[in-house]
Amino acid sequence: MASTYMKSVASLLAAGALLMGAAGASAAERVKIEWWYAISGKLGETVQQLISDFNKSQDKYEVVGTFKGNYEETMAAMVAAYRVNQQPAILQSAERGFMTMLKSGAIIPADELMAKQGYKIDWSDFVKPVAGFYIVNGKPAALPFNSSTPILWYNADAFKAAGFDAPADTWQGLEKQLYALKEKKVTDCPMALPGDFQWSLIENYSAINDQPFGTKANGYGGLDTEFVYNRTSVVGQVARLKKWIDDGVLKIAGQGVAPISLYTSGTCASIINSTASHSAVEADAKFKWSAAVMPHEEGVQPKNSTIGGAALWAIKGKPEEVQAGVAAFFNYVAQPDVQEWWSKATGYVPVTNAAYAKMKLEGYFKDHPTREVAIEQLSRGEPTDNSRGFRFGNHNQSTAILLEEMQAVWTGKKAPQEALDSSVKRGNEILRQYEKLHAGK
Amino acid sequence: MRLSEGAATRLRFPLRLKLGSLLSSSETGLKASHFRRPWLAAGLLAPQLLILLFFFFIPTWKALSLAFVQVDPFGATMIFVGLDNFTTLFSSPEYRDSAVLTLWFTTVQCFVTLFVACLFAFATDQVMRGRAIYKGVILFPYAIAPAISGVLWAFLFNPTVGPLAQMLDELGYAWDPNRRPSDALLLVSVAAIWKHVCYDYIFLVAAFLAVPASVIEAGAIDGAGPVRRFLTITLPMAAPTIFFLIVMNFVYGLFETFGIIDVITHGGPAGSTNTLVYKVYQDGFRQLDLGSSAAQSVVLMAIAVLFTVLQFRAVERKVNYQV
Repeated sequence: MASTYMKSVASLLAAGALLMGAAGASAAERVKIEWWYAISGKLGETVQQLISDFNKSQDKYEVVGTFKGNYEETMAAMVAAYRVNQQPAILQSAERGFMTMLKSGAIIPADELMAKQGYKIDWSDFVKPVAGFYIVNGKPAALPFNSSTPILWYNADAFKAAGFDAPADTWQGLEKQLYALKEKKVTDCPMALPGDFQWSLIENYSAINDQPFGTKANGYGGLDTEFVYNRTSVVGQVARLKKWIDDGVLKIAGQGVAPISLYTSGTCASIINSTASHSAVEADAKFKWSAAVMPHEEGVQPKNSTIGGAALWAIKGKPEEVQAGVAAFFNYVAQPDVQEWWSKATGYVPVTNAAYAKMKLEGYFKDHPTREVAIEQLSRGEPTDNSRGFRFGNHNQSTAILLEEMQAVWTGKKAPQEALDSSVKRGNEILRQYEKLHAGK
Repeated sequence: MRLSEGAATRLRFPLRLKLGSLLSSSETGLKASHFRRPWLAAGLLAPQLLILLFFFFIPTWKALSLAFVQVDPFGATMIFVGLDNFTTLFSSPEYRDSAVLTLWFTTVQCFVTLFVACLFAFATDQVMRGRAIYKGVILFPYAIAPAISGVLWAFLFNPTVGPLAQMLDELGYAWDPNRRPSDALLLVSVAAIWKHVCYDYIFLVAAFLAVPASVIEAGAIDGAGPVRRFLTITLPMAAPTIFFLIVMNFVYGLFETFGIIDVITHGGPAGSTNTLVYKVYQDGFRQLDLGSSAAQSVVLMAIAVLFTVLQFRAVERKVNYQV
């Protein structure tokens, strides 16, 4: 018994050594492609799976993925690295950083890279809301990768217990339901406030209700755009959120607790969060969960919501063989099969029509109806200047300011109008600074 | 006093003899203190100079060079703006709020830490059984990394899931650091103090031990109780240590509470725990406004220089009652 055990251990060790030797040899010949990404948890595991699948699919390149923190932290790491010429070959950057990256002078436009390396990607096949965001003058600057949009997640058991089959379409209707959930003592926390609420509850709120967020078609029309969200129904929206918070209907998760975990643990009965939460909800939620499109204002014909998530940028300053590897990886990621797998594993929307059609044909959405909610919401109606998306320089900065001013509303330090005025004023200073630095580019 | 002076002269005498025999007789006066092999001197100085170069002079130069420009994060465009970054900074209400907050936070933190550490150190002498355990428990927080202790505090007092927050809630206090700036500030302060009490404690225990037993015994014979002896004998005699700790606490509060703030509040809500140092990080590394961030670090550098000057001045004055 003991000797067979020893033998098997020995043979295992020998096999391991052989394997390691083989891997070492092939890794030495392969060109290393560094990729910094910004999504973690279940999504991060899926990214690592994607990388390992790509590395197995060919023997010339080896993509090495590194998690660099959230989107802002990854961007900061990139900036620091670029200044000392230590940048990665690929960067995952959020939709908010689009303008900053576009005009950074640090990137190779995706179509230029692919054309130069001899790949043909059908850019017209990208779904409309995605293309509308990432394609500038008919050319994509970056490869759309993980695209999402906020949807309304709800606990169907809790809603049922309060006598509702589904959440209402309008904010007014939803308000009554959330208050009923609390009054009927179904839950102490009818809704959780997402960490990126400025994206869902203010920016996408503006798009869906066809309210301008900034002038010049939300920045699509030029760098001289100005924020105007202090003069739209956003003011009423903020006042409503403040009231909900004060009445204990909407709860702030606070530092160290992910808002979505308040939903998946069953503590809070609903949350408006990215469709990418599918991977977390499917894994963790032990109740009858469901999702619906985001509510709109009473009497408004709702428009499409806007795209969130991130794109992959090819970064300048890398040798030719690395660029070829980046192109090969981009080409791999854009394949319908990979797109489909990625979308299913994560909950992000399929970014090409081919992948979407494939999933539809398989009947995937019949079995997983909530997976289609985001797509329906993204493609609802004809996009207007207010709902196409947002192109603001240094949008990360103005977002941080908006968040800070909103906290001043939650704490009661400022009234909604006062905070929004201040946020717009400070945000416009950032836009002017950006305009000054990038005039004529 | 006389005794120690005598010891010093006795020591100095043979030393001078030895040095004299080491150096050649032609080199006297100032030259006598020179190294004859400059490379050895340079080699011995190099490690310290290199550390200063990489961790002080280069960063200082970078900060100064960025403080007067506006620059896009990637460094492609740079516009000289003179003192614009500073004028914008000083006219911004957020910056003034942050400065007032920092002053308030560091002052409170400094004196409360000192007071608590004093109490513990005073009690150390009175604790008879389990003194080692008592000391161990007090020193424990010092071994915990700021980020870890921050996570613990944030979790314990999280209003939705934290057990201590729920306890406060049941006691009738609607604790919520996400919505009440005072709660957030209190939480950060308590965490910062908890983390630093042990540092002060170590120094104070040592300082109190150094007080000659004869003086205390004399006090006891004259009928002074333990508290009276502590206040009128031990404390004044430990004054140099206390002064040193005040400066160190200020430096800690100003510069080293970063980790705790980053984990517990992120400077929020609405900037209510955004100290000057945290703001440099927020503006520079999260918002990538390098010009403003550099201007802020120049201001902080000025404050640090001021502290150093103050400390040297005070040390020269010699706050001390040595026997």
